[in-house]
Amino acid sequence: MPEGVEETFVEAVRAAHPDFIESVEVLRPRRVSLVGKREEFLGLAKALKDEFGFTHPVSAGAVDYLKENRMRMNYYLMNPSSRFMLILGIDLPRDDLTLPSMTQVWEAMSFHERETREMFGISFEDHPNPISLLLPPDWKGGYPLRKDFEGEETQP
Amino acid sequence: MSEPKIEPDLMRVSWGPQHPMSGQTRILLDIDGEIVHRLTADLGFTHRGIEKILENRTFLQGIIPIERMVMVDTANIGLGYVLAIEEALGVEPPERADWIRSMICEFYRINSHLYAFGLQVEATAYFPAVFLWTTIDREIILDLQEQLTGARWSYNFFMPGGVHADIPEGFQDKVLEGVEYLRGRFKQYWGAMVENAIFEMRNEGVAVLRKEDAIRLGATGPVLRGSGVDMDVRKDDPYAAYGDLDFKVVTEAEGDAMARLKVRFHEIEQSLDIIEQVANEIPGGPVRTRIPLFLRIKPTEVLSRVETARGELGIHMFTDGGMNPYRVQINSPSLRNMYVFERLAELDEILLADVPVVINSIDPWYLDSDR
Repeated sequence: MPEGVEETFVEAVRAAHPDFIESVEVLRPRRVSLVGKREEFLGLAKALKDEFGFTHPVSAGAVDYLKENRMRMNYYLMNPSSRFMLILGIDLPRDDLTLPSMTQVWEAMSFHERETREMFGISFEDHPNPISLLLPPDWKGGYPLRKDFEGEETQP
Repeated sequence: MSEPKIEPDLMRVSWGPQHPMSGQTRILLDIDGEIVHRLTADLGFTHRGIEKILENRTFLQGIIPIERMVMVDTANIGLGYVLAIEEALGVEPPERADWIRSMICEFYRINSHLYAFGLQVEATAYFPAVFLWTTIDREIILDLQEQLTGARWSYNFFMPGGVHADIPEGFQDKVLEGVEYLRGRFKQYWGAMVENAIFEMRNEGVAVLRKEDAIRLGATGPVLRGSGVDMDVRKDDPYAAYGDLDFKVVTEAEGDAMARLKVRFHEIEQSLDIIEQVANEIPGGPVRTRIPLFLRIKPTEVLSRVETARGELGIHMFTDGGMNPYRVQINSPSLRNMYVFERLAELDEILLADVPVVINSIDPWYLDSDR
């Protein structure tokens, strides 16, 4: 793998789409973190796939920052030729947890978005199949991976 | 899961989770006669909430539940978690510990691939004895691991900063003996099974996944490499001792069930080479850097990646200065491959009788995909 692909990518994406990006940095060799602006997130995702070759979706998941009253949604992406991991993040305020579904760009994010939806309560607009993935269909216990989730005691 | 609508003129068969070949999941098969038109996976039967459990354990306690994700491949899973802690702490293990880790991980890759091979042969329904052969051969590996770690399964041998103990005296010779025996056995397997006409008939050209589809659908591990993409974390992003070890990334171009099986088979050969290298060339020195047992890690986020037998595992750990991780996001390889499995019926014609072969060629581990 060529050296310095991460820095080259960071400069290129900064130059091409300054309006789409909140922050972008190289965390360590082969890990790049990019936080997108909420208004332009779908446009940024499409640009990453079409212009920067991030055609290989890896995974997605969220983190609940309860004290800061926000959640961070992360998409993990890979370019099959440069092969560093791109963590594409977006910050969502806890009282408005919606974002466009990335299945429009990477079809395989479907399972990961379904899981995030049931675990965190983030809703994905235009998801083709927004049903629960892991939890039982009659689950009414709330969103288990949120920080303010309180589990029920099991019956003896 | 609420069931998706069934199209007119199709019949729906609910397969699993009690079926002997399905594993702990339910698969909805929408069929027209013998042809499967749509596959829908109903996951979650083994969901234990490992990500939440890890938030309520200290960093070291977390090593125990996370290894329960894949029991045939505990070493690789545990290593991913330990590497994340090490990176967050800024601790480097000694060189000798890295080599021991690589050896154990390769033993477990063989263990897991043998299991997958045995199941795929069993799925063809002709050769029930082969699964017993592979189970007996796994004993060789388990006995060696018992001598090294004290446990046959899930031994929590990796610690942040190294491994629990050094290899015992005379262990290298036993390893070389075991490797020699397994090499002979794999030659027999190849002749008896992989080049067997009936086995070829049941596997060749079944569920073809083309290269561009494998990339687009986010396949990983032997499923991706069976479609001709040479992605392997051990080469792309070396961890443990893989940067110093000599091995090849195995690919097969065909993309069918046979190609995925052959990738696993050749990977076993590469793993045996790696183990031999470690046994012959392991550097001396200590095996552990001491770290405090009760850790607090400053607020940071790290993403560790390891190549497990089923593909790339990612552990994205967020810390907040406390004794426990704030959040651990597990990027599971089986979940990615299960999505590929769902789409396979649209990419290639799958017959009802081939479904067990197809699912075992993908080799998902449901405790891994459900977490």
